[in-house]
Amino acid sequence: MPLVEIKQLDQIVSVLREKRSSDVSLTDMVSLVEVTTESLHTFFESLDKAVFRELKEIADYIGRMREEIGALQANDMSRARIPAAGQELDAIVKSTEDASNTIMECAEAVMAAEAIDLKSYRAFVEDRMMVLFEACSFQDLTGQRISKVVSTLKMIESRVNRFAEAARVRDAADFRDAREIAEEEHRKLKLVNGPALAGQGNPQDVIDELISGAMPDVFADTK
Amino acid sequence: MALDATMPILVVDDYKTMIRIIRNLLKQLGFDDVDEAADGSEALTKMRAKKYGLVISDWNMEPMTGYELLKEVRGDTSLSKTPFIMVTAESKTENVIAAKKAGVDNYIVKPFNAQTLKSKIDAVFAE
Repeated sequence: MPLVEIKQLDQIVSVLREKRSSDVSLTDMVSLVEVTTESLHTFFESLDKAVFRELKEIADYIGRMREEIGALQANDMSRARIPAAGQELDAIVKSTEDASNTIMECAEAVMAAEAIDLKSYRAFVEDRMMVLFEACSFQDLTGQRISKVVSTLKMIESRVNRFAEAARVRDAADFRDAREIAEEEHRKLKLVNGPALAGQGNPQDVIDELISGAMPDVFADTK
Repeated sequence: MALDATMPILVVDDYKTMIRIIRNLLKQLGFDDVDEAADGSEALTKMRAKKYGLVISDWNMEPMTGYELLKEVRGDTSLSKTPFIMVTAESKTENVIAAKKAGVDNYIVKPFNAQTLKSKIDAVFAE
């Protein structure tokens, strides 16, 4: 409430206190009610404006969030982009497996072939080598497929980052959903980490030392 | 235990291409009697039905991993003496230590070559 009205009310209350022993006139009561009404009216008017301003800010924020959620295109990601990326990865697994099998078939056939007739043996080996070269073309296709998957991941990263910035999102401390918790427990229980990236994990020579017991300190730490 | 080229070898891996690679490498090293299993539980069943001179196992398989197979083998008095080589992409120290403590005879990290496989088999049978 504005300071002026509060002062006016204080003055009226002081006058009434002074007249406590005598009767309060009707005029005093009317003027008290008038000042009180006026003061409260001004107070509620200022309160309305503040609440309105707050509600408008909330409405604007919700509007912006609606736009940002729309820009996130979650349905496009879950229904189209991510399944398409999954299909590309499946195709990569399939093509590398097919190429490996073709290459091994060639190698096995060459190793099993008998070089009794040198001319026919040479023709056979050259034929198998051509098949082998053709099989290696999988690398070009898998490279293109991997580029598409990487592009999808970058697009998702960009959209999620934009949304996180717009919503001023902070990461919840140590948040993991039930599936992530189950996967992590499974990994810990079975000691399954998968292939290490370059610079992580141990090379064969270090593993040899561990297995031979040449690094007893490592084992002492884990007892 | 002496190295015997006629001994049956069990290769355990859920990836058929890797089984084929190891089978071919073993063939080049002179080992022709090679059986295969797609995970630890299938391997355990085969080991209880046939005596193998060597087990070469991957780690990361479902439902039973190579590490769980190793512990089962070492805990079974009828199988516990079977030489066991782990061939895996799991190259973290915690994995190697766990395998060593469980009684693995040797440990090869993928990718590997024929020479590495040969040297590890030789080392197991030289002990």
